[in-house]
Amino acid sequence: MTDVRELTENTALLDRIAFNDRIRAETGHLFGLAELRRKTADPGVYEAIWNILLNICNTGWNIGCRVSSSAIASEGGDALWALHLPTGEAICTSRGITAHPGLLAHFVRSLIEAGYEDNPGIEPGDIFENNDPHYGGIHPVDFDSAIPIHYRGELVGWATAVTHVMDAGYILPGSIGFMNPDCFADGVPVTMEKIGARDAFYPWYQKRITSRTRVPEMVMGDARGRLAGSIAIRERVLGLIEKYGLDLYKDITREYVEDGRRYAVKRIRTQAIPGRLRKSNFKDLAMKGKRVIMPDQDIDCLFNLPLDVTIDGDAHVRFSLRGASGWVPFGQNITPPAVASALLNTYSHIVGFDMFNSGSMAAWDLEMPPAGSWANPYPANYFASSGVAWAPAVMWMSSLYETFGRVYHCRGYVEEVAAGAGTTMTAEFAGVNQFGVYLAGLTLEQASNGSPARGMADGENSAWCIYTPNADFGNAEISELYYPIMFLGRNVEPDSGGYGKHRGGLGHTAVWMIMNTPGVEYSCGCAGMRSKVVANHGMFGAYPAWPDRPSYASDTNLKELIDRQQPLVHERGDPEHPDLALRMTAGHMETDVVAPFVTPGLLHEYDVVVHPISGGQALGDPIGRSVADVVADLDRGWTRPRIALEVHGVVASQDDDGRWHGDDAATAVRRAAIREQRKGRAVPFSEWWREERGRVQAKEAMDPAVLQMWRSSMALSPGYGDELRAFWHLPADFEF
Amino acid sequence: MPRYLVACDAGGTMTDVIVVDEDGRFVIGKAPTTPHDESIGFLESLEEAIEYLGLGSQDDRAAFGAGLETAIYTGTSMINALINMSGLKTGLIVTRGFEEMIIQGRGSQSFIGYQWSEITHMQYRKHREPLVPRRLTCGVTERVDLFGKPIIPMYEHEAEAAVRELLAKGVESLAVVFLHSFTNPSHERKVAEIARRVMAEVGREVPLVLSSDVAPTTREVSRANATVIQAYASEPARAQLLRVEQCLADRGYRHSLKTVLCYGGVTNIRYPRLFETIMSGPVGGIMGAHYLAATMGEPNLVCSDVGGTSFDAGIITAGTLPIDREPPFQGMYVNVPMLDVHSIGAGTGTYIRLDSATGRLKLGPDSAGGTPGPVFQEQGNETPTVNDANLLLGILNERYYLGGRVKVNKAKSLANFTDKIAEPLGMDPYVAAEQCVELVNVVMHEHLVQTLMTGYDLRDYVLLGYGGGGPLHLVGYAGDAPWKAVCTVPHAGAFSAWGGACMDYSHRRHKTVSAMVAPGADKATRAYTADAISAAWESLESELRDELLDEGFVREQITLRRFVYMTYYGLLGDLEVESPVERLRSDDDLDALIAAYETVFTTMYTLAGKPDVPTYLVNEVAVIAQVATVKPRIIRRELRDASPEARASKGTRPVFRNGGWNDAAIFEMRELRPGNRINGLAVIEAPNTTLFVPPDWRLRIDEHDVYWLERQHQEAAR
Repeated sequence: MTDVRELTENTALLDRIAFNDRIRAETGHLFGLAELRRKTADPGVYEAIWNILLNICNTGWNIGCRVSSSAIASEGGDALWALHLPTGEAICTSRGITAHPGLLAHFVRSLIEAGYEDNPGIEPGDIFENNDPHYGGIHPVDFDSAIPIHYRGELVGWATAVTHVMDAGYILPGSIGFMNPDCFADGVPVTMEKIGARDAFYPWYQKRITSRTRVPEMVMGDARGRLAGSIAIRERVLGLIEKYGLDLYKDITREYVEDGRRYAVKRIRTQAIPGRLRKSNFKDLAMKGKRVIMPDQDIDCLFNLPLDVTIDGDAHVRFSLRGASGWVPFGQNITPPAVASALLNTYSHIVGFDMFNSGSMAAWDLEMPPAGSWANPYPANYFASSGVAWAPAVMWMSSLYETFGRVYHCRGYVEEVAAGAGTTMTAEFAGVNQFGVYLAGLTLEQASNGSPARGMADGENSAWCIYTPNADFGNAEISELYYPIMFLGRNVEPDSGGYGKHRGGLGHTAVWMIMNTPGVEYSCGCAGMRSKVVANHGMFGAYPAWPDRPSYASDTNLKELIDRQQPLVHERGDPEHPDLALRMTAGHMETDVVAPFVTPGLLHEYDVVVHPISGGQALGDPIGRSVADVVADLDRGWTRPRIALEVHGVVASQDDDGRWHGDDAATAVRRAAIREQRKGRAVPFSEWWREERGRVQAKEAMDPAVLQMWRSSMALSPGYGDELRAFWHLPADFEF
Repeated sequence: MPRYLVACDAGGTMTDVIVVDEDGRFVIGKAPTTPHDESIGFLESLEEAIEYLGLGSQDDRAAFGAGLETAIYTGTSMINALINMSGLKTGLIVTRGFEEMIIQGRGSQSFIGYQWSEITHMQYRKHREPLVPRRLTCGVTERVDLFGKPIIPMYEHEAEAAVRELLAKGVESLAVVFLHSFTNPSHERKVAEIARRVMAEVGREVPLVLSSDVAPTTREVSRANATVIQAYASEPARAQLLRVEQCLADRGYRHSLKTVLCYGGVTNIRYPRLFETIMSGPVGGIMGAHYLAATMGEPNLVCSDVGGTSFDAGIITAGTLPIDREPPFQGMYVNVPMLDVHSIGAGTGTYIRLDSATGRLKLGPDSAGGTPGPVFQEQGNETPTVNDANLLLGILNERYYLGGRVKVNKAKSLANFTDKIAEPLGMDPYVAAEQCVELVNVVMHEHLVQTLMTGYDLRDYVLLGYGGGGPLHLVGYAGDAPWKAVCTVPHAGAFSAWGGACMDYSHRRHKTVSAMVAPGADKATRAYTADAISAAWESLESELRDELLDEGFVREQITLRRFVYMTYYGLLGDLEVESPVERLRSDDDLDALIAAYETVFTTMYTLAGKPDVPTYLVNEVAVIAQVATVKPRIIRRELRDASPEARASKGTRPVFRNGGWNDAAIFEMRELRPGNRINGLAVIEAPNTTLFVPPDWRLRIDEHDVYWLERQHQEAAR
């Protein structure tokens, strides 16, 4: 087939996919739609039906979240419902986690490509599900479901949903399986399965969830939520078709997807500039000497997360991960389709969409990540784990903020600039809770970081989450319903955002006292966090936000302190003199743990966990920050006097009433001195380069994890290795 | 002596006063709102209304004051205090470690009211300025667990130091919010005891507000917001209300002024819990609809209010008002039961634009509102609005806009619309204008049908349209949905003010509980659960009854209704269920309550959402205590001929419809009478609204002066 007119309702879905791929390659337009005829002819109807579809998807969300069992979904925003073309492309989505439409589309396409149209067939009322990263999953706690939409016997679309369940039966309790050594630890597998018919789950599916997950009622509650929301979408779409006619529905839904592509192209064309941008970024996973599962996990890992963006004269964008380091024996590997869907998520944050759907994915290409890398592990290790596949992708996505911020800035769109996003260090508890019920799962703390500094303003405190725009950590009283913890504090963490002219939005620190349990395990998980290495540095001379370093204490004297009415621990305090150490004694105390980790044993009543959530990155030179802004932060307790003086160069004093006052003249002197100090440290670039080259060539002070990262990066991406050697003028046979 | 009722709705722009006489007749006055002293705008508006009554002489006016039996006032003083940060200097005492509870709030508060495209785009979000700054917030070490057990006894020395520090800083009110105080308020009450002692010692007393009194319901951020609003804004708002009351007293009014509660109902302005009046805008409309529905004998009503800037909608089911227990308000979530009204930025003043990047038609969400208004009003707005499109289509009368009081430049509207919308789309301006109006109608329709009506059967509901733009768009947004009926009223433009006069005296109270019914639970366990629910009802009933008795009512006047908020254990969302019994005295009573919940759940979420072996959880209970009040009578009038009187006809006017011009019959609404019927295509004009009747629809006016819009084929079958 070469012409869209040859497509009929009887054309196999597989043939339609082939046609769509070919016509796009030939014309550059999705479905060969050089013109958007419905849009041109009836712009009002075009908008009206879009509005209807948005409402339909959000109806799916409203119903699904209320039926769902997961606070992660309805309070934390980690869920989504969507409507798709018969061939899988997402037309329209609900609110929620914008990282998933690409994956849900991939899941539907995988069903078709696997011949499901013939066997087992796709019938009205069927329920398909997947959490397998090979076929549209990302990490197995994200359960994808899809139900077909048939109109008078013809398959006209799909309603899909995803929720992050509390526990997927990983080798360790919970949903952030950073320690999973391989896919066999990744819990209950659901690989493109038909799990129900006639709008009801098969009994075996419910039995499997019951026998293979730790909190089956909650996992099934989510399944029911996904299904109820999807059915609502299906029924309303059928009503829409009945009203407007099938032909219009088919035409207009394809046009929406193509329009999504055009919007993304237009935004780049009007607000960005052509060229190539590269951003180096790294992520650590320090596990050596900690509790691990397999012997080969007793290592530290460093990820190379290179971002290479090329924007051509036609506003087409190409992304590359050339130089990505190798897969790791932990649950921190991700598949290429998931990387692409992650890109869609970040694109929605920094490019923005009126019409958010699969279309924008056609506005850019993602070069296949190096085979064997963390972003494409299966060619080298088919059994690599993706327990928390987001972890490296989150850090990589954060680079996109800065990269696009720079091109927007070049074009004068200062208000669109955003420095890097905060990261997501998770907290999970597993054990018998206050109701005597075993519970394992994620708290909501990480769902609300400080937002990045903007081109014209500070970031907002606790207002952004890189994996979902519905950022929210909910209420402490709700968290206490689930877990056997009591909050001792949940305040803004001073100085937790990057330092700059516009500082990053601040994160917060949760302080928990274990209570009402015979024992509970705390897992400080890595869903993309900085611990030893500062990933993403802020922009235009800003200083990066500090690392995520949790603390905990077991076998404490907290009860005695309470009985004596002594001060307790409510916040982290000065990082160099943390409150935990100042105010408490304990049989075991860690005040600066390199995350991630799982507590070596159970925590008990009156044990304490201090869990910080990071802020966003900053923008601009910290000594360019206005004295008034620094003083305001001092007054609010959001920065410490030492930081005000040493980092921002602001001289301020506090009056008897506790209010701070800046001294403009003294500040000017102080800032001049800082500039002089900087000049004193400065060397010509050529001199710096020579010195550094010597260190690189000598592999000076390089940890094995660092060496391993560079070796794998250069081996998996020879061209990247060549560029690296060329930059440092190293011999052609140089290896780390 | 004639008796009167006055109800006032002071909005952000205009203050409407409605005066109703004992025969149910009413007049409406309008004047600009005067936020600095709302009594000025109120009096001006009242004067206009009195003029319409024809009470010119001093004697008449004196008789009016003496005959005024009830005065109800809803204003903006609470909301203005929050917007302008002009409330009392408030000190906040919280559980130590939560000093920034209202400052950092919740992430979702930073994008309340945003569209989805704005939510995804990180740049836009912004937390509101906190009502209490960090320096006026003190932490006190204490903790009660979720079961109400004190795990960390309150450090009383810290509480005393906090009170002294805040008083020394000059706070004018104090608020106390401790975690889980709704389960065990002892720590908050102890702070209150300490605070009163310290205030006596230092010789300065300030209002003291406890979260366990104000909003004994879970979710500390929202509870704190509600508590702080009460401490911060209620007394300044009360001062405004007392000024209004004094103005009325000066004119002979002998009773106390009433104000409107945001969950529907009126109360004395001396009611302590004035934070329950924070949002009164949509209340009048919903309560008016509620009263009208009862008169019509229609238990199920969809209320839709088209204003200049927004489209507000709510559902009344089986006579029960929709309640949101944690509504968003001014950039905060608040634990204040509020009529659940869903709003979108679509009104008659909504801007129409073309997106330069995509060529897509965009509606608002911002609007020109009343000021500067549509382009044709020539008050400085150069962006086309929905009403510009309505004018171009001939639906609005260029010589009778707001009764002819506002001059209209249609040519300017046409040139502007052509230049900015039609030409870039390559369309005829009238075709484009029609598409824009259709788009507004679809957006409104979707808001009703998809967002609001999830789980409800439209065939059971009457759609009522009001607000200045309601009659104009009513048939358009009713669409082809299978409503039981569609109607409006001639006073649609002042319906909210009228609704303010239609409320019962009502108080409502909620309390968080945790009562579970597990499968296979033995009778003793079930009885324990039932007793817990009954005890919570009893406690709330006692509070409410005492309040109303204190306000001078007698026990026999008070009616009580009991509710639970129930869910399947494990699910997060719960549903409001009215108890079919007064107390859960038996196993059967508990089963009856569960059955009521299951009926509501399966209607809303289908059987797919129901667990196979459910455990039931009651998260919250509520009680409403009501005392019936005197309201405007809806008079049953004699039905006249189907044909309107000749003087009602204003001739014809071309109206653009379905791509062409057609002559529409034009009528003056004030000259129409019950019994009249008018076939579309017709436009019915009034000074404060315009009713559009499309070609295949017909207007029928019933004996209560309710305007029913019916499809002509339906009406013929009647």
